[in-house]
Amino acid sequence: MEKLDIISLIPLMILAGASVVIMLMIAVKRNHQFTVIFSLLAFAASLISLGQLSSVLPRQIQSMMLFDEYALYFMVLLLISALIITILSYDYIKQFNENKEEYYILLFLGTLGAGILVVANHFATFFLGLELLSVSLYVMIAYLRQRDVSVEAGAKYLVLAAASSAFLLFGMALVYSQAGTMFFPELGNYLLKFQETTDIMMLGFAMMFVGISFKLALVPFHMWTPDVYQGSPVPVTGFIATVSKGGIFAVLFRFFAELNLYTFPNIMMLFMIIAIASMFTGNFLALLQKNVKRILAYSSIAHFGYLLIAFIAGKQLGLEAASFYLLAYFVTILGAFGIVSLISDREKDMDNVTDYRGLFWRQPWLAVIFSGMLLSLAGIPLTAGFVGKFYIALAGVEAGELALVIILAVNSVIGLYYYLRIMVMMFSPVAGPEVAINKTLYRTSMSSLAILSLLFVALLWFGVFPQSVIDFIRMVVVL
Amino acid sequence: MINISLETGLLLAGILFFMGFLGVMVRRNVIFMLMSVEVMLNAAGIAFVMAGSHWHQPDGQVMFIFILTMAAAEVSVGLAILLQLHKHYKSLDADAANKMKG
Repeated sequence: MEKLDIISLIPLMILAGASVVIMLMIAVKRNHQFTVIFSLLAFAASLISLGQLSSVLPRQIQSMMLFDEYALYFMVLLLISALIITILSYDYIKQFNENKEEYYILLFLGTLGAGILVVANHFATFFLGLELLSVSLYVMIAYLRQRDVSVEAGAKYLVLAAASSAFLLFGMALVYSQAGTMFFPELGNYLLKFQETTDIMMLGFAMMFVGISFKLALVPFHMWTPDVYQGSPVPVTGFIATVSKGGIFAVLFRFFAELNLYTFPNIMMLFMIIAIASMFTGNFLALLQKNVKRILAYSSIAHFGYLLIAFIAGKQLGLEAASFYLLAYFVTILGAFGIVSLISDREKDMDNVTDYRGLFWRQPWLAVIFSGMLLSLAGIPLTAGFVGKFYIALAGVEAGELALVIILAVNSVIGLYYYLRIMVMMFSPVAGPEVAINKTLYRTSMSSLAILSLLFVALLWFGVFPQSVIDFIRMVVVL
Repeated sequence: MINISLETGLLLAGILFFMGFLGVMVRRNVIFMLMSVEVMLNAAGIAFVMAGSHWHQPDGQVMFIFILTMAAAEVSVGLAILLQLHKHYKSLDADAANKMKG
């Protein structure tokens, strides 16, 4: 291993090291506040060390990991999300009796797993990153062990995610048995040389896609999503929606690009069906829900269906569209779960739609931020979500996938209904005996409020002046 | 040394994998579901070892060691969660844990 390899690995090493340091800190003395400050510094240090990397890119490390600008972009996205989740988690988790410090160990390990996924271009690193992420998630989901729903969600995710990992692994083994290599570029060469693939290899790819679709919550492997979203502590739900799914999407895109699987019509057909099914299922089932976390869970299924359109379109434009869409989605969904997490208290999460009745009259600023996030999810102009959707439509049209783009438009209209329902609830007047406006009904905190306001500003910024961000993405995100 | 063809090995792994999958689907006791998942993981391990020996590379066995390690981590976390599940629901029946619906 050379010196430059070590330098490239520093951002990941900081994440791994931070989890060990927190473990030692717990052994000496427990202090929640101090742990959080240390976590924020460690994430910041990791981000800064990423900045140092740009001079050594692209760097392949021993046919295991590839550090390039694409990886760097996603790594920055994941680390900033993890940083925001740390702040939101602090305000959320400090109200509980459980030991609080261990949570941050898991947060670091999960982020490390996602970071490894982003740079992985070998089955071994792919698998390691995914498992590091999943095993941390099992514990984070069941972290509030006094709550039965939290434990139930953890158990459900455990069994299903482990089974889906087995599918992924078996698929990898089948592909390896045919190609004799697990290194993405060599697999690409193999596929290029033998245009005809064996049935075993196709089966292998199919099983791998089962595993990946499960983690991305695509139809028909989406069953776990609403329960896990509802049962998890709110910041963890945000973590699943951003860091976990983002990392896996990044590796999926790299896998497809390096193996050039776009030339296989069967596989593309399969993904097209999954995309259409995800959009419709997500949006229609969200209409029936009364729980905000479940609504957001179903909407996430639909959103990853939209994202698949950019993925199917492929090429440079599809990649740019997906990168921008993920950025917009991260900002939006972190903001939305941030609000839910901020006002949830010890007794219960504020996740019923009726809990939001009259939020505007009690906490106007929170209601405005939440409305902005919901409008962005629905894809209303002037928000980041609109530009993201527009970009995806553009990529779809360019690739000649008109049918998919029309379905995207239809689904956006369906989606509007359930987002607006939450908004109407927030702006409707407080009814009955509660007329004496009780501001203390909802918790609030300065640090979370500041970070949410920042997300709100970013949302509008990306929505109104997207050009600078798009130019930046065009410059760095190349596969 | 007996020579086993790649196809035979993969077939064995495939049968094991399918049995494990069937177990996850059919069994209602969460402990048994977890055991079935282990069977699935080990089936993937066998497939890796077979593929590795077919290509005369150590990679298959390396992956198997990774799988072993990961399965151990998963089971330790899994059993801890199941203990909590039993505490809350007084049962390890997967159908009992249904507080969330919709």
